[in-house]
Amino acid sequence: MARGLIHSDQDNVCVATTDIKKGEEVLCAYLEGNSHLIVKSVDDIPLGHKIAVKDVRQGEKVIKYGRPIGVATQSISKGQHVHVHNLKSMRWGK
Amino acid sequence: MITINGYVRENGAVGVRNHVLVLPLDDLSNSAAVGVSKLVNGVISVPHPYGRLQFGRDLDLFFHVLAGSGANPNVAGAIVIGIEDNWANKVADEIAKTGKPVEVFPIEGYGDLKTIEKASRKAKEMVQEASEKRRTEVDISSITMSIKCGESDTTSGLASNPAVGVVVDKMVDLGATVMFGETSELTGAEDIVAEKMANQALRKKFLKIYKEYIDVIEREGVDLLGSQPTQGNIKGGLSTIEEKALGNIQKLGHRKVNCVLDYLDPLNKERGGTLCFVNTSSAAAEAVTLFAAKGSVLHLFTTGQGNIVGHPLIPVIKITANPKTAKLMSEHIDVDVSDLLDLKVSLEEAGERIYNYTLKVANGRLTAAEVLHHEEFSPIKLYISA
Repeated sequence: MARGLIHSDQDNVCVATTDIKKGEEVLCAYLEGNSHLIVKSVDDIPLGHKIAVKDVRQGEKVIKYGRPIGVATQSISKGQHVHVHNLKSMRWGK
Repeated sequence: MITINGYVRENGAVGVRNHVLVLPLDDLSNSAAVGVSKLVNGVISVPHPYGRLQFGRDLDLFFHVLAGSGANPNVAGAIVIGIEDNWANKVADEIAKTGKPVEVFPIEGYGDLKTIEKASRKAKEMVQEASEKRRTEVDISSITMSIKCGESDTTSGLASNPAVGVVVDKMVDLGATVMFGETSELTGAEDIVAEKMANQALRKKFLKIYKEYIDVIEREGVDLLGSQPTQGNIKGGLSTIEEKALGNIQKLGHRKVNCVLDYLDPLNKERGGTLCFVNTSSAAAEAVTLFAAKGSVLHLFTTGQGNIVGHPLIPVIKITANPKTAKLMSEHIDVDVSDLLDLKVSLEEAGERIYNYTLKVANGRLTAAEVLHHEEFSPIKLYISA
C-alpha cells in the first residue's frame, strides 16, 4: 500500500512518502500518536506532494502542521492532489 | 563532558579546520589571489565580485563579511590582496585583532606577478606554520555552528529539519552556539519564531528586522511569488511560502532564541548555550558565507531536492530525508535520514545520527562538499555601487 504522513490531527492533507498512482489506497500515518487513516487517491501523486484527506471547499483553508498554509482556489475533494493548481498563499500572490 | 578535537586560536576561539586564506579585497584582485592559491599548496582563495565603490551600510557589511571570514576560527592565517592598500589594511586590521598572522599586499605599483610572488612567499611561510598546529581536546561548548535548509521539499519539514532540531536542542543544552537565519523564508511562521524569543526586547528586534526585510521586497512592487517557494521547492511538493516556512522552522528545535543579530551585529555567546537568529538572505551561499563571517565553524544543511552548496572555510554537512535525492545525488549527501519517512527510526535516533556525524566532522572528517570542491563564497550586496 502507498504511504503518507500527517503532521497534526487538524490537518486536511497528508504528505505522500512514496509515489502514488491514481486509484491506489494510501495509508496516512499521523506523526502525533499512533493512529492512521486510509484514503483512496484520485490522482497520481509524486513523493513529497500532498493528498487531501477531507473535502475542502473553494476559499477554505488548507491545514498542515495544524496551521493554515493557504487557501483552496477551487473545491478539492478527498483523495485529490493538493498543490499550486488548487492552493495559493495567503501572503503573496494575492 | 563531551569533547571534540579542535584548533584553539590565539584569542581562544575554536576552529575545526586549519586553513590559510588569501582574501581578495576586490574583484580586480581575484586573479592575484587565485594565483597564490595555485602556486602554494594548502592555501584557499575566495574570489568574489565586490569591493569597488561600495558605500554606506553596504560597505560596512562588505567589510564585516571579509574581516569576519579572515577572523573565522577555521583560519590559521590570512593574506589580504587589494588593488590599493587602504581598504585592504582596514580588513587586515580587523582580522589582526584575533591575534592570528595577517599580511597585506597591494597590487598598484607592483602588478599581478610581483604581488603573486611576494604574497606566495608569505603564504608558504603561513602554511608551514599552520601545519605545526595540532588539534587539542576542547569542550563541545566551544563550538559555534549554523543551520540552514535549501532546495527544501516536504520531506525537509517532515523529517530532516525536525531531526536537525534534535541536534540543535542538544548542542544548546551542552552550551554551544547555533545560528539560524533565512529572514524572508520565515514568512507565515514569523509569529512562531517571535514566540520563541527569550524576551520582549529580542522579540521586538526580530520583528523589526523581519518587517524591514519584507518592506524592501515590497517596495520593489513585487512579492516573492515565483521565487519563494522556488521552482525546486514546488517540484518537491511545497505549494506556498507558509508551508515552506512551517517546514523550515522545524529545525530550530525547542529552545528559546536568546540572541538576535542584524547584519552588522557581532555574536556574543551566552555561557549556557546560544540559539541565535541572524538576519540573512535565504540564498544558500550568501547565508552560509554570513554565518561563517559571524564565526560559525560548522554548518548543518538539510536538503530535499538536493542543494549542493559548500563553503571554502567551513564544512557544510548535507542531510536529506528524501530517498530519491539520497540515491540520485548520493555523492553530495553526508547523512541520509530517509528511513524516518517510513517511521523505521525515531526522530531522536535520526537526530543522534546527525549529531554523531557532526562530531566526526568537527574532529576532522571531510564533508562531501569539501571533497567535491564546493567552495561558494558569496558576500551579500545591499545596493548599487557608487
